[in-house]
Amino acid sequence: MSEMKERREGYNKNESGKRLSKIITNSYMSLHQKASEGAFVVWIAIVVPPELFAGFDNVVYAVPESHAAMSAGKGVGPLQCEKAEQMGYSTDLCSYARIDIGTAFDGGKDSPTFGLPKPNLLVSNNNNCSLLVKWFDVYHREWGVPHFILDVPFCYEKQNTEDLGYIVSQLKALIKTIEDLSGQRFDIDKAREAVKLSSEAYKEWRRFLSFASHRPSGITAFDSFVQMAAILTSRGTMELKEHFRLLADETARQIDSGIFPVPGEKFRLYWDGIAPWHQLRSMSSKLAEYGANITTASYTYCIGTTEGETDLFAFDGKDPFHFLARSQNFSVCPYGLALRGKAMREAVNKNSIDGIVFASNRSCKVYSLMQLDEMEGIKKDLDIPCIMVDVDHADVRKYSESNVFLRMEALLEMIESRR
Amino acid sequence: MPMNSIYSAIKGLKDDGHRIIGCFPLYPPVELLHSMGLTPITLWGLRDRYRNVPLSDRHLQAYTCSVGRCLTEFVLRYGSETLDGIFMYNACDTLRNLPEILQNGLAEQSDSLPLLRLHIPTSPLSRPADAEYFRGRVRRLVRELEESFGTPFSIESFKKSVGLYRLQRELASRLQELVALGCISFNEFCRIMSAGNFLPVERHLEMLQNAGEQCDTSRDIGTDLPKIMISGILPPSPGITECIENAGLRVADNDIAMFKRAYSYTPPSATNPEDYYADLYSNHYPCTTILHTGDARVEVIRRSVREHDIRGFIFVGEKFCEYEYFETPYLRRVLEGEGVRMLCLDFSLEDDENIGSYRTRIESFADTLRP
Repeated sequence: MSEMKERREGYNKNESGKRLSKIITNSYMSLHQKASEGAFVVWIAIVVPPELFAGFDNVVYAVPESHAAMSAGKGVGPLQCEKAEQMGYSTDLCSYARIDIGTAFDGGKDSPTFGLPKPNLLVSNNNNCSLLVKWFDVYHREWGVPHFILDVPFCYEKQNTEDLGYIVSQLKALIKTIEDLSGQRFDIDKAREAVKLSSEAYKEWRRFLSFASHRPSGITAFDSFVQMAAILTSRGTMELKEHFRLLADETARQIDSGIFPVPGEKFRLYWDGIAPWHQLRSMSSKLAEYGANITTASYTYCIGTTEGETDLFAFDGKDPFHFLARSQNFSVCPYGLALRGKAMREAVNKNSIDGIVFASNRSCKVYSLMQLDEMEGIKKDLDIPCIMVDVDHADVRKYSESNVFLRMEALLEMIESRR
Repeated sequence: MPMNSIYSAIKGLKDDGHRIIGCFPLYPPVELLHSMGLTPITLWGLRDRYRNVPLSDRHLQAYTCSVGRCLTEFVLRYGSETLDGIFMYNACDTLRNLPEILQNGLAEQSDSLPLLRLHIPTSPLSRPADAEYFRGRVRRLVRELEESFGTPFSIESFKKSVGLYRLQRELASRLQELVALGCISFNEFCRIMSAGNFLPVERHLEMLQNAGEQCDTSRDIGTDLPKIMISGILPPSPGITECIENAGLRVADNDIAMFKRAYSYTPPSATNPEDYYADLYSNHYPCTTILHTGDARVEVIRRSVREHDIRGFIFVGEKFCEYEYFETPYLRRVLEGEGVRMLCLDFSLEDDENIGSYRTRIESFADTLRP
């Protein structure tokens, strides 16, 4: 009872939250340490599969997007952005990129993780967005670091076999590149094991997400935004699998004990867009005051699936290249309107969503440009209220809480009026 | 060409029996499309012709680049009245998001158009598997064109089309040289080159040939004018180009996607379309949107600066084009190292009407280049 009285509504840091903090801290410390001891350092775009690096003895990786998200969450986003802008990078460029460039060229100053160790290889891809390629090219030119571009064809329909084969061949070429540059040999059995662990971790992740279907929801989408950080630092590890297993178990226990993030839940919402990293706590708390819970978000609900799906895509234990190539387009941005709409409808129905918030994000055109059409389609097909709000996921200077909540309130009123 | 002229020109072609295929920029495989009996038009260069884009605004946020917004407006406004099909490739993140939006928008108006797509790899196709993948994609496109438009592919026809577009590119290059010599204004060059986006290649060849023949080689706008390069996705509007030339600057070269980046390279042989396009896209003149050419782009610009004794570089920024803006800071430093000053101008929809402020900046920039 005292725990319930002490809990604020909205996002709360529980045992899994504390464990997550340790995982993230240890990941970055280990990254810096191994890099200083001579490990081969790879910077990757978020969707590049790091399980492949587990096939090497001494290859470590960093995810600049993840670091940028953390920086935004810790409140240093604008500071880092300004550094990049003073170097001449336009304020219209993605805020993740500006944060990362600002951090990198100031030696990691003001970063919550002391920045990232300099890379020996950059690996970008273009399926989330081609902008990542241009971003990594900045480092390639300044530092003379080789840049491998993973070309993943966009999915307007389900991925076809030719595209799959093409991606597999590139993954193998990436392995060869790392072998040539690092002098290390690749062990496919180790990589296979890492892929197996990731797949098992995603199974637990989806079990955690499934508690959003409970009434009231056992989670908030803000929980999922925070917890996804572990995926970015620890794919392919037993630690990740265990963490998500414990996370799902803890959530199940909380539900059984009648502990919910928004106990007075009246409105179940869906967020379409990248997480607003600088607003996680305040947005979730403010929404909870209204009895509103963003239970589901496309940004995290897609993890562990394939394009347009909401069910787990599990590794069959056989060919890790095939699995990794097949699942390259799980993350919303690499697929088109029809597939996004399919996944959104399934999630809305599964989780009994009352209303949808489309987070139109000027830093992320790939996510945002289909949203007007998506919104009209959803309103027509599902007849549920939708709004569009203007956000920037990492640059708080482009966010107005009052404007966003004016629309949020309107959404809640629309939902209420239909009851 | 004003929009009503563009519309009239294309409608006129369609009424004359041309089958018009509206291509997404930047570098569609026009030779192949032409060889299949189609008239390819490339849907860019429309920014200064639209005051507003209400149909596009229903589908795209205001932070979309004007290329995407104007293309969408054109297709939704004129649809099958002017076009018989649409072709797109993965030129950029914005354009790749458009096909289904266009199909939805057309469907709302009870209209539809066949849509053909090609994935162009971002690597230079030096890996055999990448090259074979791309060749397969081109072969599939050929089959889809045959099915959609009922014209069987012919290698003879393809070679003939390649010849026409090769000549177009050669004439365009020569015309730029005449601009550099001061024999023709850059404004006129832009007008002639931009028209080519909406004309059958045969007619554009006539325009280019006439322009070259009629060019006043005795014209001398002053050999001591400071020489500049203009760079960007699109050329400046006529009003801006006039400001640049009236400020006493000579455009000695350009790095414009619609112009030099498009016409600078044609593969030497055309034995089949898959090899031709593998060559074209692997060895394409560097462009910010052709992801593997980033390093090469800096070098070609540096070479041009030295060859043409360029003192100033005007970046005509297509607002919200990350591809261009990511490279600009580094390019500025490289140019400074060559003693070249850079002026950055941003353009979005309606900005072309705001000539006054741009004129001031251009004139000030020109002053800095004079000895």
